[in-house]
Amino acid sequence: MRAYLSTFRLRRRLELQYRGAVVGGVVCQIFFGLILVAIYRAMYLGKPQAMPLSQITSYVWLQQAFFRMLLASDPELLDKIRTGSIAYDLCRPLNLYGFYYMRILAQKMTGSLMRAVPMLIFAFLLPEGWGLALPASPAGLAWSLAALGLGLLCVSALENITMGFTMRTLDSRGMQAMLNLLMMTFAGNILPLTLFPDSWQRVMAWLPYAQLLDAPIRLYTGEKPPSAAPGILLIQAGWIVILTGIGILFWQKNQKRIVIQGG
Amino acid sequence: MDTMKLYVHSMRMQMKSQMQYPLSFLMQTIAQLVMEGGEMMAVILLVNRFERLNRWEAGDLYFFFGLMSVTFYLTECFGRGITGNFPYLIRTGQLDTFLARPRGILTQVLCSAADPRRITCIAVGVAALVLGCRMSEVQWTGGKVLLMAEAVLCGSCLILGLFLIEAIFCIYSVKSVELVNALTYGGRSACEYPIDTFPRPLRILFTVLAPFALTLQVPGSVILGKPLYDWPEWAAYLSPLSGVIAFLLIWLCFRRAMRYYRSTGS
Repeated sequence: MRAYLSTFRLRRRLELQYRGAVVGGVVCQIFFGLILVAIYRAMYLGKPQAMPLSQITSYVWLQQAFFRMLLASDPELLDKIRTGSIAYDLCRPLNLYGFYYMRILAQKMTGSLMRAVPMLIFAFLLPEGWGLALPASPAGLAWSLAALGLGLLCVSALENITMGFTMRTLDSRGMQAMLNLLMMTFAGNILPLTLFPDSWQRVMAWLPYAQLLDAPIRLYTGEKPPSAAPGILLIQAGWIVILTGIGILFWQKNQKRIVIQGG
Repeated sequence: MDTMKLYVHSMRMQMKSQMQYPLSFLMQTIAQLVMEGGEMMAVILLVNRFERLNRWEAGDLYFFFGLMSVTFYLTECFGRGITGNFPYLIRTGQLDTFLARPRGILTQVLCSAADPRRITCIAVGVAALVLGCRMSEVQWTGGKVLLMAEAVLCGSCLILGLFLIEAIFCIYSVKSVELVNALTYGGRSACEYPIDTFPRPLRILFTVLAPFALTLQVPGSVILGKPLYDWPEWAAYLSPLSGVIAFLLIWLCFRRAMRYYRSTGS
């Protein structure tokens, strides 16, 4: 267990090195957030919806702030497989799945927190109807933080499955692009899930992608009351167990048939 | 003319080389289709929920979306050298070899890459355009066809120009400065919707600094028969030229910057 923890710590420290890139990323993300909010505002002016505008703007800003969590983050594995240095990883007295899980988790957590803090501060300072509103209730905030933690575990498990696919083929850019896209769409990054047709939402809320950011955000904005929180956390926990299970099995199978490229 | 022939020839070679791995190419092309299809779906779902955006109806919104997609991805398909590869050329020092050849730098950079995977994005854009024209009942005339072609061409110039800004920064700093891309990709995402959706600062940004509104939307709105501004009719034919002007200005800066180019070595 200690080995996994230090893997986590090492990756976290590595991620903290690139602060310059963070500034650029945050400015870009804020710019995109403003464009999206402007579009939804204009739409709302024409036809107000049951859900207040401030909930949509909060949704957009929270999605933008934690955008990094959804993005695939570990291109190294692909290189390792191509060059054959995956052999070193296989020599480690660790479970390969756990090793990579910790790396991904550290990267996603540190990367998104570093970006989220300045962005959320900025979004709070924007006027009402443009920026991020306060959480619906203290309980809602507490539950949404818990849900965010579980969402992080869930997204790391998901990405590890994607990496499993990566190991199968040498050129997996197409596959990866497709899986990432599925993630962006069904996690609510391209369009808030709350704006999808209501009948779709009922199905989408059960998908693993909705557990990552959508579930915590709905608890934050109060669209889902705190009384619904235990149920949501249960769904999240269920997906974590399922996805981690699939991932572990997948990696075990892959490890048996992996080919070390020589050179 | 000779240059044009060279360009066409290298494009053909680029496409051929991309097709050498058909399965990977197919997967990536499909991924592009899903990506652009997803964007289109977002617009459709928004229209489904909100019905209209100010005075723009569903068909108009699809039309603007299609116009932007077609222009942007045509540029990425045939101008990949500028839109994607330039920072890489600088970092690896490959640009040095271009300096030794008897052709302009920009010509060679343009010839150095193509991205046929974008074809599916262009297809989605065309579908959106056709759908938009049908729904808004556009009456096509010779002038409108001309205007459309002009808008797409000048829009491409503008987009190439904006990507050149990144190239200029890259010449000075070696590292690619992604922040500059915010203007390009931000412009794409924003100007898929009519410009009057946005508050004044963003409107000024995308009309004056990066004139997407002038190159694409002013002619687009005239084609739809709902002009954005009450300008005389000939103005719609003039305003896309701002994209060409922007390109020329940035190109001049690029030439200045090239004088400071120091090779990274190999």
